[in-house]
Amino acid sequence: MRRARVWFRRVLSLFQRGRLDREFAEELESHLQLHVGDGIRSGLSPEEARRQAVLRLGGIEPVKERQRDRRGLPFLESLGRDLAYAARMMRSHPGFTATVILTLGLGIGATTAIFTVVNGVLLRPLPYLQPDRLVYVSETLGGRPNPFTYTRDYAAFRDHNRTLSQIAGYMFFAANFTRGDRSERITGGLATRSFFDLLGVQPALGRNFLPEEDSPGGPPVAILSGEFWRNRLGADPSVVGRSVILDGRSYNIVGVLPRGFRVPGQYGGDYTFALWLPFAITQNRAARNEIMLCAVGRLKPGATLQQVRADLDALQQVKLRRGIQKGIVVSEWQNEITHGVRRSLLIFLCAAGFVLLMACINVANLLLSRAATREREMGIRRAIGAGRRRILQQLLTESALFGLLGGMLGLAFAYWGKSILVAFLAPNLPSLDPILIDRGVLFFNISVAVLTGIAFGLAPALQTSNFDVMRSLKESGRGSSDGRSPQRIRSMLVVSEVALAMVLLSGAGLFLKSFFRLRSVDGGYKSDHILMMTLDLTASKYKTATDQTEFFRQALERIGELPGVLAAGVTTSPPFSLYSYTLSGVILEGQPEASTSVDVAIVSPDYFRILGIPLVRGRIFSPVDRDGSPSVVVVNESFARRFYPNGDCLGKRIQNWDKENDYKTIVGVVGDVRTYPEDEAPPEIYCPYLQTAGTHMTIVVRTAGDPLLMSAAVRSRIAAVDNTQPPHDITTMEQAIDEHFTPRRVKMQLVVVFAVLALILGVVGIYGVLSYTVRRRTHEIAVRLALGAEPTRIIGMVMSRGMGMIASGIGIGLAASLALTRLISGELWGVSATDPWTLAAVALVLVASGLAACLMPALRAARADPMASLRRE
Amino acid sequence: MNKKADVWQGTLALMVLRTLHALGPLHGYGIARRIETTSGDLLSVNYGTLYPALLKLEQEGYIASEWGLSENKRKAKFYKLTAAGRKHLTREAREWERMTGIMARFLPPAEQTS
Repeated sequence: MRRARVWFRRVLSLFQRGRLDREFAEELESHLQLHVGDGIRSGLSPEEARRQAVLRLGGIEPVKERQRDRRGLPFLESLGRDLAYAARMMRSHPGFTATVILTLGLGIGATTAIFTVVNGVLLRPLPYLQPDRLVYVSETLGGRPNPFTYTRDYAAFRDHNRTLSQIAGYMFFAANFTRGDRSERITGGLATRSFFDLLGVQPALGRNFLPEEDSPGGPPVAILSGEFWRNRLGADPSVVGRSVILDGRSYNIVGVLPRGFRVPGQYGGDYTFALWLPFAITQNRAARNEIMLCAVGRLKPGATLQQVRADLDALQQVKLRRGIQKGIVVSEWQNEITHGVRRSLLIFLCAAGFVLLMACINVANLLLSRAATREREMGIRRAIGAGRRRILQQLLTESALFGLLGGMLGLAFAYWGKSILVAFLAPNLPSLDPILIDRGVLFFNISVAVLTGIAFGLAPALQTSNFDVMRSLKESGRGSSDGRSPQRIRSMLVVSEVALAMVLLSGAGLFLKSFFRLRSVDGGYKSDHILMMTLDLTASKYKTATDQTEFFRQALERIGELPGVLAAGVTTSPPFSLYSYTLSGVILEGQPEASTSVDVAIVSPDYFRILGIPLVRGRIFSPVDRDGSPSVVVVNESFARRFYPNGDCLGKRIQNWDKENDYKTIVGVVGDVRTYPEDEAPPEIYCPYLQTAGTHMTIVVRTAGDPLLMSAAVRSRIAAVDNTQPPHDITTMEQAIDEHFTPRRVKMQLVVVFAVLALILGVVGIYGVLSYTVRRRTHEIAVRLALGAEPTRIIGMVMSRGMGMIASGIGIGLAASLALTRLISGELWGVSATDPWTLAAVALVLVASGLAACLMPALRAARADPMASLRRE
Repeated sequence: MNKKADVWQGTLALMVLRTLHALGPLHGYGIARRIETTSGDLLSVNYGTLYPALLKLEQEGYIASEWGLSENKRKAKFYKLTAAGRKHLTREAREWERMTGIMARFLPPAEQTS
């Protein structure tokens, strides 16, 4: 209470300084008058009386000073003075100030922008009830991770675990949603009844699933997402009790979820589930079929991840007798969701941190150079009684102010950079909420700003405040060269800068090389002018193979008639398709053992021609290869090489995997096609679609013009066959390729941007230090020139100093790169993390830019006019 | 005994309060003189340290000040005890007595005289 009052009065006094100073001067004066009066009365001369009075007081100014310290907040006042002084300094050197603030702004901005994403993705808790207690349960099979759990395991976990207070499962599905005469493909979720309770979400309308609804054979019900309800059903408030039609089946709507409820999809993308069905709808009591699902649980109080793992592992081994090749993985759900992007984000954060470090070094160098020119100022301050601490405080205030201003600029950069970054990374960010600059980011930004201010200010401040007063006042600060130690500090700073740039450039070089290697991989097909769209026939409507084949045959016929369409075909697995069909244990006639797995694709005869897949031997399919005619297949080269290494495979037969005592004859060999450019093409068998039906097919159209312009026409032709079978994933081959490369491209571009920033900062740093040295040594150089030194020798002298620093920087950077690039080896393709060519090229770039940076100061030194510079002394 | 004792900050505040309690409103110079005479000229108040002590007491609200006329008709700042100051003085004086009582037991009069 008393203390608060004291503080209040002290703060108040800050606003009445003038009046209080005047009043105290008066009070002292009256004190002295009284004292002097007493003195005179005791027989002293007025002068002597006054002298003694002042003496007893202990001097007038010191008393006033002490009174001021007691009265106000001396720390704050001196801070205010320092800030005002710093602001004056900055205004009077606008170029210097702008350089410092811009440099810091770039560094802090880059770091803050990346941190904003890190904060939004890795640090911010998931938007569910007590998200830190949510765990994700997945399995391993023979040591390899499988991101799912199986229904039988899930049931055992649910009924017998002792470490989870709640457990829920969900999965996604795709279906054709029909409303009126329109159909569209939607992604929905399957959720156990416990799912919404576990996440702490209540339906905004209606209710959660009932126990009988989430049991095998239960009634068909659905809960809509808030978005689907709004966008597809016009936010109809009376929707509960009505029904939606999926794949021709009617589902009763029992609830609507609040808007903005999102659940991470399996592939990291921002899955929005249009609606939810009870999980048990997939379960068939009779068949006891197993399907995969995502299992999420809530830790019991006190339970740890290890305990859950042990608990579930025991259940799996003992209760289910799964055998030892199966294992359990329990992780925090947030980690599970973000693990795909964590490493990339941390790489970016490191790169940004490096850039920030370099920005700091550059600014420290600038301040060091200026410190030398401020020696006189400091000398005067010291001489009139400022303590070393006081000067340090003032200098650090100055650099902290630089830091804060840089931080503010950085925040502006970050705001702008963040949007670019998010747009860049969007397909890979599993964030469930928009990524914002929130309080955490602001705190980070300000902390980084102040810390960097102190970090780059400390060395120059120590140097400035720690010097010989007399020397600095005697010397004019001009013409003399630096002492040994500040010069060494500067060289060390430049060397470390070159080393940092080397590390970043090596990383960027590796990413670049990896990217272009991958980009230039020949997938074995032509990607231009290809339109693709995928169809999943409703199985209840297209029951037989004949129906399915007939649908696609008619669709292809109609699409083929379109002007602008050169050819139309179908395939089950075009390049980049998530679906691939793998057969294990294919039996080749005449070969004793069943082969290892091969891929199988069902295609129409035109498919090879449309994608430009070359025929190597034999023939491709014709319309004659249809139901009723002999079964034929075409294989790829990889298949032929693998299974018929010596001899022709044409005419050889493969046992039909669908039918006993039936054989498919190999009639042709085509070129290899890579599904993903990263992976070699596996052995593959192509079957003619007229002989082998399927419900999931991608229609592939070669067009004369822009393929996307044809998409409406192609869709209408499909609708003409059956308008309840909407195509989805409509794209072009070029787009599919682009999409596939986006994550790598973004990563590569970001790292390159950081590396270029680092290179610029490094070059500026070298240039700055050398030109400063040259300026300091103008006198010496002038004398040398006057005495007849060759200008080339002067150039050599400056250059050798610069190149010395660069060489040591490259040496250290090389060692650091060799150690650090290993960390990104998982992100690289087709290039080793210690690729000597890349490292050599990077070193060459650094040497070349370093040379350029040295050359200008060196030339300036050689061109120094001895007379002019000596006259100036 | 020529050496005069310096005054401790804490005790100086108590002396100021006590002086104001005894004499009523007084200016800084008067307070300093009074402390010196009361101590039988054994204490030397550095007049310069008196003013921060007065300021502190005023900030704490134990004393208040106003401008008035001194005995030689000069404008001077007069300090007086506030109600809070009076209470504080009683409390502090009691505490001081307790402390000196304890100290006295450790330092018997016989030793003190030597």
